[in-house]
Amino acid sequence: MREVDASGFKVLVADDNEVAQRLYKRVLEKAGYPVLIAADGLQAVDLALGQRPAMILMDVAMPGIDGLEAMRRIKAEIPGMPIVIASAHSMASDRERFLAAGADNVLSKPFQLHDLISIVEQLANPK
Amino acid sequence: MPGPGPTYASRAGILARRAAPLAALVAVFLFQTILNVDTVVVFPLYLGAVLMGAILEERLESFAVAGVAVLALLFRPLMASGHTSEIGPAVLLSAVTLGVGTVVNELTRHSRSVAAAAQQRVVELSAAERSLRATLESAGVGLALAGLNGNWLEVNQPLALILGRSRDELFRTTLAEVTADGDQAALRDGLALLRSRDVMSWSADVHVVRPDGAVLPSALLIARLPNPPIGDATLLVQVSDISARERAQSIANCVAAVRQVIVSSSAVDAAMPQLLEAFSGYLGWSVAQYWAMDSETHTMRVRNAWNTGGPILEGFLHASRGMSVAFGSSMVGRVWKSGVLSAEEDLEKASGDERLTAARSVGLHSAVAFPIVDSGEVTGVIELVSDHARILQDDEVTRLATAGVEIGQFIRRSETAQALKRSEADHRAIYEHSPFGIARISSGGELLEANPAVLRMLERDEEAMRQTAWPELLRAYDQVATRQRKAQFLAGITDGSSIQVRAATSSGKWLWLQLTATSIPDANGRPEHVLVMVEDVTAVRETSDRLNEALEAQREANANLERTDRTKSEFLSIVSHEFRTALTGIQGFSELIRDGGLESDEVHAYGGYIFNDADRVNRLIGDMLDLDRMESGRMSMRTTDVDINDVLMEAISRAAPSAVTSEFKSDLDARLPIVAGDRDRLIQVVSNLVNNAVKYSPEGGTITLSSRVDGRFVLISVSDSGIGIPPEEIGHVFERFRRVRSGAAQSIPGTGLGLTIVKQIVEMHGGKIWVESALGHGSSFHFTVPLSPEAVKAMQQLQHA
Repeated sequence: MREVDASGFKVLVADDNEVAQRLYKRVLEKAGYPVLIAADGLQAVDLALGQRPAMILMDVAMPGIDGLEAMRRIKAEIPGMPIVIASAHSMASDRERFLAAGADNVLSKPFQLHDLISIVEQLANPK
Repeated sequence: MPGPGPTYASRAGILARRAAPLAALVAVFLFQTILNVDTVVVFPLYLGAVLMGAILEERLESFAVAGVAVLALLFRPLMASGHTSEIGPAVLLSAVTLGVGTVVNELTRHSRSVAAAAQQRVVELSAAERSLRATLESAGVGLALAGLNGNWLEVNQPLALILGRSRDELFRTTLAEVTADGDQAALRDGLALLRSRDVMSWSADVHVVRPDGAVLPSALLIARLPNPPIGDATLLVQVSDISARERAQSIANCVAAVRQVIVSSSAVDAAMPQLLEAFSGYLGWSVAQYWAMDSETHTMRVRNAWNTGGPILEGFLHASRGMSVAFGSSMVGRVWKSGVLSAEEDLEKASGDERLTAARSVGLHSAVAFPIVDSGEVTGVIELVSDHARILQDDEVTRLATAGVEIGQFIRRSETAQALKRSEADHRAIYEHSPFGIARISSGGELLEANPAVLRMLERDEEAMRQTAWPELLRAYDQVATRQRKAQFLAGITDGSSIQVRAATSSGKWLWLQLTATSIPDANGRPEHVLVMVEDVTAVRETSDRLNEALEAQREANANLERTDRTKSEFLSIVSHEFRTALTGIQGFSELIRDGGLESDEVHAYGGYIFNDADRVNRLIGDMLDLDRMESGRMSMRTTDVDINDVLMEAISRAAPSAVTSEFKSDLDARLPIVAGDRDRLIQVVSNLVNNAVKYSPEGGTITLSSRVDGRFVLISVSDSGIGIPPEEIGHVFERFRRVRSGAAQSIPGTGLGLTIVKQIVEMHGGKIWVESALGHGSSFHFTVPLSPEAVKAMQQLQHA
């Protein structure tokens, strides 16, 4: 794991599972990305529009509005906002479904930590 | 007679005649003078001359002649004067001469006037006869004088014409011989009466026969003339040709007979022989044949024939029967082609018609053929053949042509009627015997007629059908039509539209009848009545209903299968999601720990997360296996006597230590009977409900457990004062993975299988479970467990006591 100075590349994590929130926060902050946490869809939309993170890691199965609806609302306001769907719905058809819904990338749960890091890095340092 | 020749000649004759006596006197005088003959000697000569003059001449002339003779007689005596002796005799002679001359002249004149009178009478007589003869000849009728035996004495030309003979030929016959055989007896009687002077005149309508065999109807009048002074008595015979009158009468009779037949007959085959008989009988034709068109071969063949009888006709009839006449060939074919009457007076001249020329050789003479015409088309020909010469008169031609048209119309009418009758009979038979019900309905909706099939179907008689069954059917039709958005029976009468209705038979059997209505328009195109076809489709309908049921069941089964399938894959998807969610923490944190470099408190915390999620995964697996065993009926229950109050207390004691913010209350029926059940499972149920009550009361609150008897059941309730269940979720709380995750409940952990398992266990005990909740005011879960049979018995005994 490289230490990168990525301060300013703020990642919004939207996940209702506390353990998952802790994991994201621990791993991404260690990698140098400031992390914002939203516990449900509406909160995710509020934080995305209010805080303007660099990207969003979005769970799907969340109380209130789900991740896909939250993504639709955010993209309606900020079309260029990179959103990665990170879901335990990780069948092949799910992946297609998320991409079709407008996701920039998909991360299947459970994931290996370097997969998480590299997805975020790709967006942080586009070639 | 005018002309100079004869006049001159007669005048010359008269002069010669007048001069002759004078010339004779001169000759005698000269003879006497020259020969000097004595007067007495020549006196006879003078007297002769005077007589000649007296006979021939007029009185004056004869006196002149006599005077001259006297002078001649006296001349010699006077010349010889002296011979007085001669004078005396001369005077005497002169006187005799004068006297004789005068007398003779007078006699002559008298006889002459008598002769002239006679002559006059002769002239007058001959003029009278001439005028009489002229009258006779110019008479419009045949006139003749005949002897009392009927021998011709005088005949006029018209009579010769009527009898078809010259006068000379006629004189060789008698009245009887020119009379037809049938009338001869009457004629004989008539002549006998005239001979005996019993009657002076006799008249009768008879037929006279011409040499060619033609028979002519005639009016005969015979009058006996007054007996002449000399000779035999004669008869005046008057014969008038009444053939025109007869013919007109015959034709009129024939036409009347034809019309009578046409009016009174319905079938052509029955009428045609009568028609032919009328032509033959009234118009005097030996044979009458009807040639009808054979539309298949396009020829004409004899269909009916009539004849007056006799062997000579047989051959002809036979030849005709065997014959097919082509369009345009032979007389019949020509009439067919031209459409106008054709007549042949002498069949010998029937060129190109061998049948008719052959007929001539057996004694048939004339023929006529006229077309049977219908709407300008020749449909047949009637042929009439006579055994004697027949000349067709204009009125006959006209009448036959007219008859042809009338017969043509009759045939068409008759055939149409026949066809109609046949077709009606056919339709009637179809109607009567049809397995389909057929009903005729007026435009007002009343039943006019229903065939036996309809009556059989509904087990009604016609009256009941009309009064009740049909109106019911009509109502049913309209109801169904309205439901199906079709036109009502009378409103629309949509042709061929079918509607199935329920109808009861009189014995109460229910049928499905399919009604198909077709409107029958009248001549003006307005719907006159409606034909309704009634089909009993009960069997079809029931079969199709059963089929539909089977199909529905199949569809249901398929849908269930699909649902099960979908549920299964949904379940899989949900389960894998639950597992992966739990594994996300386990995998992530264990990877962090594995990679090292952590603070020990971090390792401690991460180990806790990993443990919790691993435990959750384990519980998930356990719940799922439980559920699967229960749903598949493989879970066994260890049924014992269970004290529900004990179960409730046990559940509270298990939950209480970890539920520090909640207060437990119990409202237990102390006299609660024992139930039969699996104690551990019942504890599981109550514990689950209690744990939920704790979980969904994050602010704390009171959790109340109660028990009481409800009929044959024990009713257990677990109530909390927590966040409650949203109304849209309350119907789904017992479904798998159906966790309320909105609002305050979103972070409450659980597998989502707890209530599903609870419900299964309650139902396995024969009880029911339900929930009441108001959002923000807590929830109450109630379930029942049946009392054991012993408990029920004990309760009943208690009640009796």
